[in-house]
Amino acid sequence: MIQFSQVSKRYPGGHTALENITLGIEKGELVFLTGHSGAGKSTLLKLIAAIERPTSGAVTVNGQNVGRLSRHAVPFLRRNIGLIFQDHKLLFDRSVIENTLLPLSIAGFDRREAFKRARAALDKVGLLNREKSMPIALSGGEQQRLCIARAVVSRPALVLADEPTGNLDTGYAIDILNMFRDFHRVGTTLVISTHDERAIQAMGGRVVQLDHGTLAAEA
Amino acid sequence: MNGWLAHHLASFADALRRMLRTPFSAGFTALAIGVAITLPVGMYLAVSNLGQLAGGLPTQPEISLFLAGKASPAEREAIQRKLEAHPDIEQRRFVSSEAALERLNAQGLSDITAGLERNPLPDAWVLTLKQSAPQALDTLRKELSALPGVESVHADSIWAERLQAILGIGRMLVLLLSGLFGLALIAIASNAIRAQILVRREEIEVSRLIGATDRYIRRPFLYYGALQGASGALAALGILALLGLALQGPVSQLATLYGSPFRLTPLSLPAGAAVLGAATLFSWLGAWIAVTRALRKFG
Repeated sequence: MIQFSQVSKRYPGGHTALENITLGIEKGELVFLTGHSGAGKSTLLKLIAAIERPTSGAVTVNGQNVGRLSRHAVPFLRRNIGLIFQDHKLLFDRSVIENTLLPLSIAGFDRREAFKRARAALDKVGLLNREKSMPIALSGGEQQRLCIARAVVSRPALVLADEPTGNLDTGYAIDILNMFRDFHRVGTTLVISTHDERAIQAMGGRVVQLDHGTLAAEA
Repeated sequence: MNGWLAHHLASFADALRRMLRTPFSAGFTALAIGVAITLPVGMYLAVSNLGQLAGGLPTQPEISLFLAGKASPAEREAIQRKLEAHPDIEQRRFVSSEAALERLNAQGLSDITAGLERNPLPDAWVLTLKQSAPQALDTLRKELSALPGVESVHADSIWAERLQAILGIGRMLVLLLSGLFGLALIAIASNAIRAQILVRREEIEVSRLIGATDRYIRRPFLYYGALQGASGALAALGILALLGLALQGPVSQLATLYGSPFRLTPLSLPAGAAVLGAATLFSWLGAWIAVTRALRKFG
């Protein structure tokens, strides 16, 4: 599903985030990206979603070279990817349900169908009773769950999560990992960057370790 | 409901809500746009009112030939024969002194004429020329002035022609000003939308991350721009109505002094609609430019 071929990414100013990465991820796989902070985990995820473009090499998703996508094609790639951010990136001037509806509105869903799906997604992350709340009224763990609901509401085949449990207490982190396990069971491909050893031990799955922008080890 | 249509409706409602939530800044922008529109449209109104006033005046060159009071019947006959045979003259009309006095009475100046002991007006000929060149007019005026029994010769239409020429300049100025202020309007609208974009930058970035097209992101801003232009146009129409109200009195007073029934004509409904449409369009365009530039810059 995802293929990195000799991918390097250098940022303007000379910092090399990734160096000569070759990596394949199959459909339905659960992959943990690990490594110290600054090892290139976030950059790797950004390359998959075409948020960044590789300096050299090719990143293909479903056979599409995403580094070469035109401006107009990028949004359609992203609609098939659920993105989960460490800082949630919620819109604080909209209610919980409106945040969840956003991807469906963008994809042009029928409003009634969109509401049905958004409620189902909120139910899945346990926030259905908070649908009218504003995100500011949610705890950190709840905000992260809202971010997850928004990422999966359009039922993407691929979910990318950047440090999803980074700022959370153990209890919350376990909740969220259980959700990921459920997504994995229904066939969603998951790529999760983390340095949370508990997560990896609890879930199993493939581990890809990065070290200073290169592939260090795979287990 | 269709999702695309729903987003249009939602964008419109969102733009309206945002405008109402910041009534002061939205009001000031509307005022700035309104003033920018008022200048060319006000000038258009002034020119079209003057044009209407001048419309009753002959623009074809006309010459008035006044006979001397002491002209003998023989001289009068010689003048008539000369005028009837002259190759440059298209039409001629004799206006007796009595007829001239009656016309003054009919124009509402009977108060003045009633005070006169005798009719001070001379007999006259009103002549229309075949050629309108100023030189031809001048040659004929000199030729006729030299005839015995002629008191004076006036080329009446010259000032009317000049007025038409001035109105022509006025119309051109209106066009040029409209163009200039159209540009100003785009700039004002674009700047106001830029402020909106900065406030909503995060929303734009998040929307992009989850697959929003540029078109989707642009939509609420374009509605905001269009609404902003429309509110500016309404402000301009309000300002013009107030100006008209303030000027109506003095203008009628002046017109009455000249015995004219002239009244200010307000902006016609189609012209008002055109102002509304143009302002909406220009402000929309300003919004489009601002958002498109911002989207390029955000990468």
